[in-house]
Amino acid sequence: MNNQWLVMLLAVPFIGCIVTMILPGHAARKWAFCVAVATFLVSVVLGFQLKHAIAAGQPGPNYLGGGIVGIGASIHLGVDTISMWLVFLTTFLTPLAIAASFTAITERQKEYYAWMLALLAIMLGVFVARDLLLFYVFFELTLVPMFFIIGIWGGPERRYAAGKFFLFTFAGGVFTLAATIYLGTRAGTFDLDTVVHVAQTQLTTTVRWWVVLGLLAGFAVKIPLFPVHTWLPLAHTEAPTAGSVILAGVLLKLGTYGLLRLALPIGLIGIDGSAVFPALIHFIGGLCVIGIVYGALVAWVQQDIKKLVAYSSVSHLGFCILGMVALNDIGMQGSFLYMINHGLSTGAMFLVIGMVYERYHTRDINQLSGLGRKMPIFAFFFVFFTLASIGLPGLNGFWSEFLTILGAFTSEHLGIGYGVLAALGVILGAVYMLHMAARVIFGPLKFPGSDDHAADHHASHSPLSVDLNPREIGILAPIALAVIVLGVYPNLIVGPIRGPLERIMNVHPEKSLGIAAAPTLRSHQEPL
Amino acid sequence: MISLLPVLWPELLLAITAGALFLLGISPQPAARRAAPVLAASALAVVFFGNAISAAAPLWDSVNGATSPTLYVFHFAVYIKMLAAGIGVLLVFLAWPSSEDGFGNAALEYGYDAGEFFGLILLSITGIFLVAGANDIILLFLGIELASLPTYIMVSISRPLPQAQEAGVKYFFLGAMSAAIMLFGFSYLYGSTGLTHLDAITALFHSEGIAGMTAWQLLAVVMVIAGVAFKLAAVPLHAYAGDVYQGAATPVTALLAFVPKTSGMVALIKILFAASGGTWAAPDVLMKLMWAMAVLTMSFGNVLALLQSNIKRVLAYSSVAHSGYMLVGITALLAARGHPDIQKAALAGVLFYLAAYGIMNIGPLGVLMLLPSRRSAHSRRPASEPPPPTAGSAETYDDIAGQGYAHIGLGLAMAVCCFSLTGIPITVGFLGKYFLVQPAWAIAHATSREWLSTRMGWLVVILMINAAVSAGYYLRIVAAMFLRPADPNAPSSSQPGLFSLPAAFAVALSVAGTLACGLYLPAANALSTRAQIATQIHDDTPPAIVVTQISEK
Repeated sequence: MNNQWLVMLLAVPFIGCIVTMILPGHAARKWAFCVAVATFLVSVVLGFQLKHAIAAGQPGPNYLGGGIVGIGASIHLGVDTISMWLVFLTTFLTPLAIAASFTAITERQKEYYAWMLALLAIMLGVFVARDLLLFYVFFELTLVPMFFIIGIWGGPERRYAAGKFFLFTFAGGVFTLAATIYLGTRAGTFDLDTVVHVAQTQLTTTVRWWVVLGLLAGFAVKIPLFPVHTWLPLAHTEAPTAGSVILAGVLLKLGTYGLLRLALPIGLIGIDGSAVFPALIHFIGGLCVIGIVYGALVAWVQQDIKKLVAYSSVSHLGFCILGMVALNDIGMQGSFLYMINHGLSTGAMFLVIGMVYERYHTRDINQLSGLGRKMPIFAFFFVFFTLASIGLPGLNGFWSEFLTILGAFTSEHLGIGYGVLAALGVILGAVYMLHMAARVIFGPLKFPGSDDHAADHHASHSPLSVDLNPREIGILAPIALAVIVLGVYPNLIVGPIRGPLERIMNVHPEKSLGIAAAPTLRSHQEPL
Repeated sequence: MISLLPVLWPELLLAITAGALFLLGISPQPAARRAAPVLAASALAVVFFGNAISAAAPLWDSVNGATSPTLYVFHFAVYIKMLAAGIGVLLVFLAWPSSEDGFGNAALEYGYDAGEFFGLILLSITGIFLVAGANDIILLFLGIELASLPTYIMVSISRPLPQAQEAGVKYFFLGAMSAAIMLFGFSYLYGSTGLTHLDAITALFHSEGIAGMTAWQLLAVVMVIAGVAFKLAAVPLHAYAGDVYQGAATPVTALLAFVPKTSGMVALIKILFAASGGTWAAPDVLMKLMWAMAVLTMSFGNVLALLQSNIKRVLAYSSVAHSGYMLVGITALLAARGHPDIQKAALAGVLFYLAAYGIMNIGPLGVLMLLPSRRSAHSRRPASEPPPPTAGSAETYDDIAGQGYAHIGLGLAMAVCCFSLTGIPITVGFLGKYFLVQPAWAIAHATSREWLSTRMGWLVVILMINAAVSAGYYLRIVAAMFLRPADPNAPSSSQPGLFSLPAAFAVALSVAGTLACGLYLPAANALSTRAQIATQIHDDTPPAIVVTQISEK
């Protein structure tokens, strides 16, 4: 019954983290990379186990450990397809992020890689926790490694950025804790399925209202939704490259995952699949739309390309949540697909920006121009991921954007106005991203110091080649591959998650427990 | 006399050792000064393990407890004694003399008074023991004062600085006033009940029920609570905390954060237990008073801590805030009328938090005293040299800037303890907050009274907001150590030979306890189980029987 691979998924990076601390600095990075790859392999094994379990109509991998006296919480781990894809995203991005730090991080390497591995273990813990309190423990713990990663290895404003990141997220998180403890007290246990069931059947509407507000407080900051997003551009910009990748790629997904896994079933969806608080749905939808348009407009005027991508995250996560609160099949599928896709394409954007920063030590859009002439391979990846981010058909971003907007249009809870404004956001998205790509890649060649001859001299002495080196190509190529695969075959993700999503939406209340409801890989109803 | 031994042996042992230490203090030999902490720590360790054994296999009657006319020992008292003795050992470690002549350590200079100093620590802890075991309001008062009086002296003799004298005097006068108010309250309690025996008072209130409490009796209880509030540094009697904690030498600050607070909290629990007739069913006005005090104490404590630049003051006001968190548990205890399981959970939460705070608060203060200080000009002082050297520790954010790298172990210890004090998961502080919040929620749901439900809900929300505010200053401490570059004017390293190994050991134990009780499930379970058992303040004998005995007399 108890699946040891689940424990290994957390234990491998955790033990790796401890070993990193006793290794010498130069060995630490290789070791950290190996540990991250090993974690990825463990997750692949788990994925196959889950696939077999679903095919055989059995519950997925599960682990149940001990608890604490006086608390109804226990160490309960498990995966369904939703968790599994996010676990994949995490274990896939982390080795790449670590590899991207090889040349960028030169100080206190040992501590840096130890924190990265600790962060990996904690993030995976969030996705595999099947116990509400355990979920919260991991959710909150992510702050500590990220605080140090931003604060020690970040840019010039790192102290302010790290503090703001921590305090914003913690301030939201304490309300989630209050709601969590209340739910556990009511249910007598923190087991996720039981808590959701109790919330849907036993809580009064007033209580559910406060509970869902408490949950939202933590998740909205983490996602981030419009008015509480202000920590994000700062943290993303100041974090080291790998930190930004993990932050945008995975940490934001903790918020969306929490919303999907907890806030929706506990506070927004009734036992019969109806919306409990239509007004709240409109409110969240409104914040999403504001975030989409506002984020896009602000991104448009940024001079710092990293900040531009950071604001694009605000806009993109708006789409993601808009699809989720549409509370229909299409919107939810699109929303989940958006989580994965945003992780891939925005993570990749931060990686390429990090690569150009390592070479020219600037991210100013006015100081960079025409790099395509000098760095063709770089230009390819840059434009490629830009297009993926915009949502070019054939690349991954298209499906998620399309499905979320379609979900908003067809939703019985949201009006048509939400879809219209979100579609406007798509156009704005293309404007600011292409604006950036045009400035940086095309036009006359310009980079800091390009006017004097010393620059070429300097470049030849730099440890980095003019264009991307094989290591950097090796980092970007897997993501590019994933972008194409998900672009042509989104059903890879959308198919398997159908069952868990239906359970969250209570479409078939009779099979509301367990993973037994085997989702068939029927072809997606593509409305084209 | 023999029958007293199982009840009184810890107090006797500590008091006798304290007497021996006072005698030892007469000797001018450095060896005598170095022997003093060994003696004190051994006595405390013996008491700790003795109580641990007695908790497992009671020397006293496990059903009825051990009784004497004025003392009563049951699981509650044993838990408090273990806690006080265990933390007491760490406090002795922090104050361990490490200078060559045994005059003190980097942060502390008691000069020739080492014997007296450690004797006073023991007496202060004996005071907590008496409070925990007292079965008579006179002894209860004596215990509270025995815990407090030595601290006034310790603050003053802890370092030869005007600030320390000022702090000691300020602390003494305010403490004396609060003791007077408390004693006034006790006199009303006696006057209106005719009893000093706590059991008898419990029985009286039990037979009269909630409605039976007269205005005079209520006034008496409120006055006692006011006196106790000073020991807890609860708002509005918190004002001394900043100055006194800053003025005292850092190891004494650690003692101030634990000893008076514990004695006050234990006294509060015992008084409320008696006033509610052993059922915790007190008049609503008391619960409302506790509610208001909890809210004000948390909020003022945290906001004031946020405004400080001296870390000892930050920790002083944060200790005010932590008293407020514990008062949340007390409020829940009083609010849970008619729900014995919630009452038990609430009391266990307070007792757990008392231990958690004791464990995790040693770390930061120990780190401050071990870090190089701006004024650590401690030296062997020739009698002729006029300006007295000052024992100091790192105190401001500037002092600790960037020190996390130069002293990686101390930096990590500070980080762990600060995160625990904030309530970040996998530390004992997180579990502590959980155990305080959970009963409050349970009442909010279980009660049929609408206003109480709302009130408890807001209490939790305010606690959570306060936890977020506290993150502001705890994080600032961690950020100063790790994210700031070292101040070029900062003291480079501490005086050689003044590094105090026992103090470092105390910090290590504090960190280990903080992590173990938050992360290692068996340890967390052990502490949580003990706290649950300790909720048995009294055996289950119906108090009514005691009443008849007394009326027969």
